[in-house]
Amino acid sequence: MAAVGSALLKHLRLRVQVQAVPRNPSYALSFSAIRRRFFSEDVRGSFLDKSEVADRVISVVKNFQKVTPNANFQSDLGLDSLDTVEIVMALEEEFGFEIPDNEADKINSINLAVDFIASHPQAK
Amino acid sequence: MAAAAAAARGVPKRSEVLWLFRSLLRTARQFSDYNIREYTKRRTIDGFRLNRTLSDPDSITSAFSDGKAQLEVAKRQSIIYSLYTPKVKSIMELKS
Repeated sequence: MAAVGSALLKHLRLRVQVQAVPRNPSYALSFSAIRRRFFSEDVRGSFLDKSEVADRVISVVKNFQKVTPNANFQSDLGLDSLDTVEIVMALEEEFGFEIPDNEADKINSINLAVDFIASHPQAK
Repeated sequence: MAAAAAAARGVPKRSEVLWLFRSLLRTARQFSDYNIREYTKRRTIDGFRLNRTLSDPDSITSAFSDGKAQLEVAKRQSIIYSLYTPKVKSIMELKS
């Protein structure tokens, strides 16, 4: 690694002085590697950016039919009781108020969650 | 606490297990340190999911009492940590 680095540095210095294709054949590979990496667009432009792909995939999945306003967590979305508790906790954090345990156990669908939160004066 | 008394008697029921899960997550929220808060949440979720399919009553009862012991530890620690909160918040909590 250090050898490559020093070879590159030596090569770069040569370019400033010579201003031509380097005569020394042992540096030829690194020169073409540099050219490929920094100067050519066709190598870089063929792949999409991974985070952009992830965002678009997630928004497509979110629009999937099953997540309707009437969706029941357990029968429609296939979540179990642990997932339901997690979702209720996330809703508590999102709206900034505490849901007592006995009420939280009854929230089994998106509709119920919406009704409960809309009727709670402390929701932010 | 009704759930604690019932668990002392025998195999915990589903509602008691969910009560424990919810209490652990609520206690996790009270930590002022971002790292410990996230770790507690992650650990309870992973721990409960791993033990989801237990069917032997003894192992269920021992897992439940382990969980209750951890809940006590978390409650004490959240109080102690809140006494010594650092002034600078973790970078993950800064709105970017």
